[in-house]
Amino acid sequence: MIAELVLATVFGLLLLGIHRKVIARIQRRPGPPVWQEILHMLKFSFKSTWVPATASATLFIGVVLVAIGIWTAAFFVVFTGGSLLVVFAIYMLHKIVEHGFGLSSGSPYGKFGGVRSVISAASEIPLFVSVAAIAIFTRSFTLSDIVLYQQVHGPLLFIAFPAAIAMYLVILSKMPSGPFSIVESKELVSGYKTEHFGVWRAGLEVCNGLKTTVLFSTFILVFIGQVPILWMVVGMVLLVISLSFACALTPMLSPFDSVTVQTIVTGLMLCYGTFLYVGGVA
Amino acid sequence: MQKHAARIAWAGVCISAGVVILHMAGSVPLWAYAAVLVLMFPVIIIGICLWWMAKGGKEDIPFIGY
Repeated sequence: MIAELVLATVFGLLLLGIHRKVIARIQRRPGPPVWQEILHMLKFSFKSTWVPATASATLFIGVVLVAIGIWTAAFFVVFTGGSLLVVFAIYMLHKIVEHGFGLSSGSPYGKFGGVRSVISAASEIPLFVSVAAIAIFTRSFTLSDIVLYQQVHGPLLFIAFPAAIAMYLVILSKMPSGPFSIVESKELVSGYKTEHFGVWRAGLEVCNGLKTTVLFSTFILVFIGQVPILWMVVGMVLLVISLSFACALTPMLSPFDSVTVQTIVTGLMLCYGTFLYVGGVA
Repeated sequence: MQKHAARIAWAGVCISAGVVILHMAGSVPLWAYAAVLVLMFPVIIIGICLWWMAKGGKEDIPFIGY
């Protein structure tokens, strides 16, 4: 399983590299090579590293370990067909970890990034109401049951399209340079990760790679179903290309606009879920 | 520090390899195997990076906004 973990990390970083490349090409820039994020991670791992004098050393180092650990756990949950609720609980934990990254550094940029992470969590997490819509159809929160349901009834992408849009928005919120990426906004330098450099940043890159693979594979498993590994890879690449278009063509929203848009979508999703439940559509 | 990091990384690798072997032999259930890897994977990554990182550097005070 360690080999799979390493492969998932490298593949996730490759997807983030494709993301940067596609955004650059849309904006008529040459852009970095697609393996740039992998090189980035390696480069940071070789750099001389210490803990800043203003930082809380335990938290500063601890959050890096926790960040990698929680997405390793999420990887296991997804690939053993575990509960979707656990995956989203880990997503929530990640918001707390981002907050910890920002607060531990003692830098105002990091702190503002951490605060924005909490603000964005307030609007991203309610989007998980889409999980309720899925459960109305499948009568289960377990990934293996959701996959079985789709083998009989077809992909949930067509059956519960609004839920797919809400989940797509959750993933879009986590993509760099996206309309909802307020935690990494340039006026905050690098947001919550400003002061995490060298080895700590390499650890954060590993976490980002794993997180990307886990979130993308969850989306495909939940809305398309179990597909051969090659098709899974193709699906993830297509997903990242579509997200890149959304990121390249949309300006970053201000924090309150970001929260407003996500809250409106959550409201619409609640209406959809109520309609499914009361109307007995499923 | 770097020797210490190497020892920690190697300990992580040995524990992980041990639990993989025990899991394949059927002595360790999947949840315990997963729990050990969840704990050890970050330790191995950070341990290896701290081991091979460039030497030097001293703690500094970053920009604190004042």
